Amino acid sequence: MSTRTPMLGRFRLGYVAPAALLVAGLLYTPFLWTAYLSLTRYDGLAPPEWTGPRNFVKLLDDPALLTSIRNTLLWVIGTMVLPVGLGLLVAVLSYDLKGGAWYRVPFMLPYALSGAGLGLVWSPILSHDGIANQLLGVDTAFLQDAPQNTLAMLLVWTWQQLGVNTLLFVVGLQSIPKEPIEAARIDGASGWRLFRYVIWPLMRPLTAVVVGLALVASLKTFDIVWVMTQGGPGRNSETLAVTMYKETFVASDYGYGSAVAVLLTVVTGLASYLYLRRQVR
Amino acid sequence: MIRRAVLIVLGLVWLGPTYLLLVNASRPAASYDPGSAWLPSGDFELLANFGRALASADLGQSLASTALYSVVSPLLGVVIGALAGYTIVVLRLRHGFWWFLLIFGGTVFPSQMLLVPLFVGYSDAGLYDTRLGMILIYTAINVPLAAFVLRNFYSGVAFSIFEAARMDGASTWRVFWRIYLPISTSALAAVFILEFTFIWNDLIFGLTLSTTADVRPVMTALAGLMTDVYAGTPVPVGLAAGLVCSLPTVLLFLATQRLFARGLSLGSV
Repeated sequence: MSTRTPMLGRFRLGYVAPAALLVAGLLYTPFLWTAYLSLTRYDGLAPPEWTGPRNFVKLLDDPALLTSIRNTLLWVIGTMVLPVGLGLLVAVLSYDLKGGAWYRVPFMLPYALSGAGLGLVWSPILSHDGIANQLLGVDTAFLQDAPQNTLAMLLVWTWQQLGVNTLLFVVGLQSIPKEPIEAARIDGASGWRLFRYVIWPLMRPLTAVVVGLALVASLKTFDIVWVMTQGGPGRNSETLAVTMYKETFVASDYGYGSAVAVLLTVVTGLASYLYLRRQVR
Repeated sequence: MIRRAVLIVLGLVWLGPTYLLLVNASRPAASYDPGSAWLPSGDFELLANFGRALASADLGQSLASTALYSVVSPLLGVVIGALAGYTIVVLRLRHGFWWFLLIFGGTVFPSQMLLVPLFVGYSDAGLYDTRLGMILIYTAINVPLAAFVLRNFYSGVAFSIFEAARMDGASTWRVFWRIYLPISTSALAAVFILEFTFIWNDLIFGLTLSTTADVRPVMTALAGLMTDVYAGTPVPVGLAAGLVCSLPTVLLFLATQRLFARGLSLGSV
């Protein structure tokens, strides 16, 4: 604690302690246990048997893993373009309209639906004799071939997630001080130029939040895939999180599943570190 | 008014699937046909389907505990996270970026990965199948989000507000509680909504960490009903169950609309 700056108080570590302890105790500790399991052979019954890095060697030439990595990348890129990009559009269009909050209700409603409900609503739409095929006048098996099944699920995900991103962008837009915008308006800025050069830089703190959260969440994509295709047909729509879940809980190969979990965690951690280092410092 | 037109068109697209959900949840349970799912049915049986969904799931006690979790944990999470964000940005905690990284790092772990270790740890610590245990994990999962949003929100607030309050003799805690929390109502509400929805809709932690009826969250029972559609629950009843589950969240959205309807100005007070 610094005595030079009493204005900032003397109890700062005490203020971050609850957050740090909860996260360390309940989220980091399980990871350490998983990291240990990734170096063992473990079926959930007999005690774990130490194998060294063998699970990670196996990862290197597992063709299913390549598919998972490709699909996960698709999810990351797609999430930035659709739920995040469109969410920004809806927020910018509505935040200072009279009654703008009501224009956003249609986008918020799908977020209330749980994963199981989501699958139930969309299966009849995307099925073979479903509504999407009737509307488009085609006969496509949307959830059959890769990578279009991932793209179809991405659209479903956009339907559900857009509202959340919009909400956070709106909070960011509302926290912007009014004076610079008024000043720019008086100087004749409007429309795109006003947004690009005045509003966009000012809303950066909350943009960093939305993009950061979407980056992490998209790398961990699980629920939607599990509900819609369970990673299939075959394994062609698996993401890394689905692969991890299947290896652990379906195949009962806890060691190998843990190795996938460690890989996914390291990738996600690295990506968020690189992003946050630039955006948040 | 191109802006309104774009919003309305997009909104209608978004309402399409919502319409399908409502129409088919209102259909008589036996008359579901995927080929004509977009046609409204002559008979309105939404309430009957609600009734069937509620009757097949034993709600009572688990409804009360779910309500407890989805209100208490986000409240704790939001305050604990906001306090951490305030300490890092406003009180300029030394090595603040690394503290922030430590806390935000909690989000990088896939939640399915946490299940087995948490189950083992909870059993050893006597937290398995307790309400305290459920509240702890739900709070921990939500703290990083709150810390991130509020940290960044506070980074946009003028430091002069803080200085002025301290000059007037307010403690750092009082400045947090009486000034920073109130000015961030919209951010707090957004985070609360996200966390409430996450907990309300959570399935896997409830399944893994609890077993008795008065600890286990309600979604476990209802989700079972929804996913059993392929095994016999009629689609309209499954959809009605989905609607029942979503009602509290929708009500929360509508009740908080007002908070997001007006702009704030806090850069230069």
